[in-house]
Amino acid sequence: MSGPASSSPPAVSVHGLERAFKGGIKAVDGLDLEVREGEVYGFLGPNGAGKTTTVRILVTLLKPTAGEARVAGFDVVSQADAVRRNIGVALQEAAIDPLMTGRELLRMQGALHGMKGAQARSRAEELLDRVGLTDAGGRRVGQYSGGMRRRLDLAMALVHRPKVLFLDEPTTGLDPTSRSALWREVRSLNDDGTTVFLTTQYLEEAEQLADRVGIIAGGSLVAEGTPAELKAHVGEPTLHVDLAPESDVAAARVALSAVGPLVDCQDDARVAIRAARGKATVPLAIRALDEAGIAVESVEVESPTLDDVFAAVTGSTLEGATQGASADQAEVPA
Amino acid sequence: MIAGVARESRVVTALGRRALSVQFRRAQLLMPTFVLPLMLLAVIASGTSAGRDLRDFPEVSSYLGFVVAGTLLQGALLSGLTSGMALANDIEGGFFDRLLAAPVRRSSLVFGRLAGTLGLAVLQMAWFLLVALLFGASYPGGVLGALGAAALAVITAVGIGGLAIAIAIRTGSMSLMQSIFPFVFVLLFTAPAFFPRDLLTPTLRDLSAYNPLTYVVEGARGLLQGDASLGDPWIGLAAAVGLAAFATALAVLALRDRARRT
Repeated sequence: MSGPASSSPPAVSVHGLERAFKGGIKAVDGLDLEVREGEVYGFLGPNGAGKTTTVRILVTLLKPTAGEARVAGFDVVSQADAVRRNIGVALQEAAIDPLMTGRELLRMQGALHGMKGAQARSRAEELLDRVGLTDAGGRRVGQYSGGMRRRLDLAMALVHRPKVLFLDEPTTGLDPTSRSALWREVRSLNDDGTTVFLTTQYLEEAEQLADRVGIIAGGSLVAEGTPAELKAHVGEPTLHVDLAPESDVAAARVALSAVGPLVDCQDDARVAIRAARGKATVPLAIRALDEAGIAVESVEVESPTLDDVFAAVTGSTLEGATQGASADQAEVPA
Repeated sequence: MIAGVARESRVVTALGRRALSVQFRRAQLLMPTFVLPLMLLAVIASGTSAGRDLRDFPEVSSYLGFVVAGTLLQGALLSGLTSGMALANDIEGGFFDRLLAAPVRRSSLVFGRLAGTLGLAVLQMAWFLLVALLFGASYPGGVLGALGAAALAVITAVGIGGLAIAIAIRTGSMSLMQSIFPFVFVLLFTAPAFFPRDLLTPTLRDLSAYNPLTYVVEGARGLLQGDASLGDPWIGLAAAVGLAAFATALAVLALRDRARRT
């Protein structure tokens, strides 16, 4: 990830944004956020939280019913055309005509962005190569796998070298290999200076890619910060100690309480304490247990996850969340 | 200014090329546009050719040559309608959003689709005239007459395409576009597509006077037969151009209205 350029004007700024639909239902309700130039901003939330509506407003496909939004310095309503010239868009489900070939679609996208024939053809080849679709470029998109479609979708969004790239749930439904390939490409783009606004319902994706994360629920931003900041806000890591069979659990609890505050634990053969110093707590705990003559089977330090953050700020867990992605495990001999 | 026009021309060309090429890759759209009108022509030419012996039926070189103008009109109606269906498909599938997110004039999106309709109609009309010729139709109006008749039908296809695109933009529904398919035949048979106006029932004859397609088919027939008494080409041209201009404006307004409402 490239470092955000804090002195630059924001790539995306949103103030009091609202979007109501028929019946007065507000999909976006008083949203405020800023994305700095050059950063990857992860916009995290469950289905129906307002992510896609927000993105559709930011890419000029929907008008807000209140508030304002600027992208690349331009107002999304009054300067929509300027916004369109500066953004790349890959919306959900990779809406690509299955009857066209990848090469045709890229050339057409080039024409839509004002490129002349030779320029559009050259750019299409460059992008097919970049996303690894040169050999498949002459095949109809209907014959592509989900991962190939997503990569083509991304390439189409990049045809005109946009300043801000909007990716709406780019890896939904992809297998792990295709997902990793897309992540690499997003990182590479960001390294080249492209600001990325990424909506996702995958915690791991946000952790892997985003410089900062905004959590949306019920149409409003309920938390924002770097993944580390958000997790630190929820609480400290927990050290779990699995004792060897026949060990004295009560003695172990006494020994470990000197290292950190005890945490309730459901398992009788396990003791848990708060680990304010993270992994550095491990040798302290081992030493304390060793001095008390208690054998240990394994030790695990569990950090709060973004799912914990989400649960803390919304009261519910995130649908589709990947669990335990940040659990740091350290196995020690008994 | 010139750069802007050139830029939008590239957009229209690219969208038109895409609309046309996709048309040929979708078998379910080829059937109604290239095959169905010829099937109807075969049925009508063989089943109702005795109508030529009716009193008041004009003197023509061949009955097939007389009804082929109706086939051109039917082709125009169907190619226009399939443009609307293809657009509704783009809207339902999300591809149209990709176009809307591009920095192009909204009107260019309509013109691009209509450019595809125009290209399709040119190929259609050439195909119909050629096949009918092979099966015995004669065109006393000559090559220029045939080209003129084809031009009238092509302009009409653009007009029908504009109407269909306006409906597609309004509804965004492929199934609704398919459901208006039968109305094509209402328009076709309320114009003197296969019989002279004088031989229609009085009600139908009165109704046909309000159908702009009446003047298009009569004009095309006059050109093909080289006989202005069968239809005034200039009135046909005025009807076709008027329909195309009105429908194109309607489609552009529908898109602007959609953009305003969303």
